[in-house]
Amino acid sequence: MKCPKMYVNLIHEHLDGDITKENELLLKEHLHQCKDCQQHMHQLKRTIAFVQSTSHIELPMNFTAGVMAGLPREKNRIRMNR
Amino acid sequence: MDLLLKRKIKKVKKGDQDAFADIVEYHKDKLFHLCYRMLGNREEAQDAAQEAFIRAYVNIHSYDTSKKFSTWLYRIATNLCIDRIRKKKPDYYLDAEVAGTDGLNMYSQIAADQALPEEELEQVELQEFIQSEILKLPEKYRTVIVLKYIDELSLKEISDILDLPLGTVKTRIHRGREALRNRLRHL
Repeated sequence: MKCPKMYVNLIHEHLDGDITKENELLLKEHLHQCKDCQQHMHQLKRTIAFVQSTSHIELPMNFTAGVMAGLPREKNRIRMNR
Repeated sequence: MDLLLKRKIKKVKKGDQDAFADIVEYHKDKLFHLCYRMLGNREEAQDAAQEAFIRAYVNIHSYDTSKKFSTWLYRIATNLCIDRIRKKKPDYYLDAEVAGTDGLNMYSQIAADQALPEEELEQVELQEFIQSEILKLPEKYRTVIVLKYIDELSLKEISDILDLPLGTVKTRIHRGREALRNRLRHL
């Protein structure tokens, strides 16, 4: 990619929602005429989608019970108040 | 929900254990997911998430109720995961740091093989592949990427959780994202 590194930085700022209006415009304009940067942004967006795609792993039903069993014992005072 | 959560936490602070079960129920999936992305292994992630909740309970008095509970909880879990990662210190990534990248190694700079052999593609589930690529990120990049994308946390929240300056968080997210892009773009 021959573009100044600035544009990649702007792409990241854009992805983080951390970009000024002025820079957003600058980026937009650049993306219109630069295939490479367009592709770069597209790849980053796909990467994010991959990372966000939820894995199918689930916690066992008894997870909370396991945590509760691992807690130090409740103070007697509280138990008596109930 | 927030108000309900606050009430529950108040109860826990007073020593009511049952109220804590609701807090666990509410946060467990995200916390587990976070640990799984950090550690890459179901059992270990489950174990870490459990330990994080227990630590949260034991230290509930140090939680400042004016702040977001999940931020505090994630901080406990993240530190725990980082401890575990450091203890096992994997050296399965190509070791040498690339100059000027602050901890990124050669591995994260090269693209994944353009085409995985077909049988391999069939065998390796996409999810597993993505997970393995996340795991290959050095811990400091992995942490910010996981926090950013597990719960859509803001940069500010991530900087609170990790106790890092905002600028550092930004840089790490950018670099981590680029490293992953290099590895995943051919998918």
